[in-house]
Amino acid sequence: MSDLGSGFTVEVDQNQYLPEGGRSVSAIVTVTAAAGSPAASASPTAAAEIIIVDCSGSMDVPSFKMASARAAVTAAIDVLHDGTAFAVVAGTNTAWPVFPTDGTMALAGPGTRAAAKQAAAGLRASGGTAIGQWLRLACSIFETYPAQLRHAILLTDGKNQHETPQQLDAAIARSEGLFSCDCRGVGTDWEVAELRRVSTALLGTVDIVADPAGLAADFTAMMENAMGKQVADVALRVWTPQSAQVQLVKQVAPDMVDLTSRRTQTGPQAGDYPTGAWAPGESRDYHVAVSVNPAGVGQEMLAARVSLVASSSAGSGSEVLGQGLVRAVWTDDEALSTKINGRVAHYTGQAELASAIQDGLEARKAGDEETATAKLGKAVKLAQESGNEDTAKLLAKVVDVVDLATGTVRLKKAVNDADEMALDTRSTKTVRVKKEQA
Amino acid sequence: MDVTVTECPSCGEPAATGDAFCEYCGAELAPAVVSDAAPGFVPSCPVCSVAGISAEVTADGYCESCGRKVPTGRDHIELDLGLLVGVTDKGLRHPRNEDAMALATATTSAGQVAIAVVCDGVSSSPRPDEASLAGAETAVRVLLEAVRMGDDLSEASRDAVADAAEALNALAGPGGAPSATYVAAVACETAVTLSWLGDSRVYWISEAEPQLLTTDDSLAQEMIASGLFDEATAMASPQAHVITRWLGADNETPEAHVAQFVPPGPGVLVLCTDGLWNYQAEAADLASLIMPDALANPAGAADVLLKFALDAGGMDNITVVLVPYPLSSSRSADVS
Repeated sequence: MSDLGSGFTVEVDQNQYLPEGGRSVSAIVTVTAAAGSPAASASPTAAAEIIIVDCSGSMDVPSFKMASARAAVTAAIDVLHDGTAFAVVAGTNTAWPVFPTDGTMALAGPGTRAAAKQAAAGLRASGGTAIGQWLRLACSIFETYPAQLRHAILLTDGKNQHETPQQLDAAIARSEGLFSCDCRGVGTDWEVAELRRVSTALLGTVDIVADPAGLAADFTAMMENAMGKQVADVALRVWTPQSAQVQLVKQVAPDMVDLTSRRTQTGPQAGDYPTGAWAPGESRDYHVAVSVNPAGVGQEMLAARVSLVASSSAGSGSEVLGQGLVRAVWTDDEALSTKINGRVAHYTGQAELASAIQDGLEARKAGDEETATAKLGKAVKLAQESGNEDTAKLLAKVVDVVDLATGTVRLKKAVNDADEMALDTRSTKTVRVKKEQA
Repeated sequence: MDVTVTECPSCGEPAATGDAFCEYCGAELAPAVVSDAAPGFVPSCPVCSVAGISAEVTADGYCESCGRKVPTGRDHIELDLGLLVGVTDKGLRHPRNEDAMALATATTSAGQVAIAVVCDGVSSSPRPDEASLAGAETAVRVLLEAVRMGDDLSEASRDAVADAAEALNALAGPGGAPSATYVAAVACETAVTLSWLGDSRVYWISEAEPQLLTTDDSLAQEMIASGLFDEATAMASPQAHVITRWLGADNETPEAHVAQFVPPGPGVLVLCTDGLWNYQAEAADLASLIMPDALANPAGAADVLLKFALDAGGMDNITVVLVPYPLSSSRSADVS
């Protein structure tokens, strides 16, 4: 464990012992931002927020959906801290700035809040859905204001029908690294996988708000969470020895986010993985797996050096905010090398749980009942074993459990769409386990 | 006693052996020595340097290219002060040497004195290698000063433990303080003052009546003492080596054992870590390995004991310090 004094502690939990010839090193790296870190002094003007609201025609079916969206925008505006730069964007098959109307950002204050709410009250539903267009407009608005913390809330009620998946991917790529985005789908006519693509790439959350009445509370919570973030873009820098391979870099708590493919090479033996913005006191767990060239019995190797760096300063001059060491020690003592680290095992299980749910739901949609039953049964068993009660409850709305211990389940004949989508969106929520005190 | 004239190692001026400091330049004439890396030692990766790759060694001791833990210069160290000798070795299975020793000699009005401190860093605590060295080095200075001042040695032994504990606690980081075992001997011509915490040991090795002089602060020892298990069963338990008293972490004022021992005749005082006694705990069996040669050639005997532990598996770091009785500083010339 180390604390370099600039606000992050990094704790590494692993079994460092490998058998002779062993290559695979796995560790759970817990990163915690200090409660009152330097960030606490960051000025509120460093933050920028954009609220993106779906105004497609379907938002009028039922009609109170659009009204609920307007109320949610109003609620989110009320949460903005004074001095935060903000804008409201409306999206259909095109996108336009609702407030300020010139495509720039306003600074939150009594006057601008009132004006923005008035503008939001005029939002009407009509037209199609092209989420890529919405993201592109958000990019250009964000770029008018020099903020360190850029965050958006995106609400949709439908599928991305009025542009190609390639157009959406290009817009996501343009947004990546510029801002983070929490996505919400209202009702059940939107596509979980589509919205997850946006939220994952933009380091945000995705969830379903089945009943439009819940939108205002959800927007308030999301904006409060965003206002709590005070440390701008931080990256996980992973140094590895010559000829070693990084197998996996994955956030595993509070939810699963695979970062493996998000690497930016920052040196011959180091790469950065984005983690987004942090609130003071926030803590997350990462699973880092590395394959190394084995050394002899009795030798020790540094398998990875995991550092938190301010990512705005990539390269040699970057500021290291905290650091932890993942080690490998080769031993011929089997009692040591065969010992399984409890947290590595736990999070490996949570990852299996998430993929069993997603695979199972996909098979169910495709009409492959056999695979769906097997996968969701496995998920029930894994959720039970790992104490993931929230996920177990969501699963129980989709399957009837015949035998918990063996994971024998029957698919329910009639499943509420909202329940199925909630299970899908929340499948990546993990149960956290703390490091056992030695 | 005789005032033998020697040379100050610092300025070359003559000095009397009884003096602690040079009359001319003030340098310490017989300073304590510790099992640290030699002065000027520059760590370099044993793999990459052979391959012709110039790779830096990071502050925490890893090769910046291949990641290998780089030797610290403490892997194998021999010390010979004439009155006493010591050897410490990382063994065959541990990546580094977390044992440390500190030796000193003094000449007082009551005769010659040999001082030895051995610490074994607890691997599960942070920075155990620095901890053992800091503990041994701090303690030996306190003991040497007390010997020179003619202080009460039991009292000085407790002070040495307290200061050593403070030195370990000063190394504490966010991961907590490191911890180490501790064993010290202040060997005067007629009596020895012993102090210890944990499971590093002192033996009296002689042909007549070899014996273990310390009692381990370990769960195994507690099991034996409580009468629940015999020694063989207790030592075989997985918790056998869990120590119940130590220097450092969560133990700001450790209560050390302090004992006196009067050598009954010729023999050798042996201080050692569990890297040795794990393979041979019986005093009589240790005696059969090195007696009577150890009396005349303690450095050779230290080598024999080290080689014995390595041949038996070398699972842990090994440290052995030998003080032959009767005390005699003339021996070293014959040996080295």
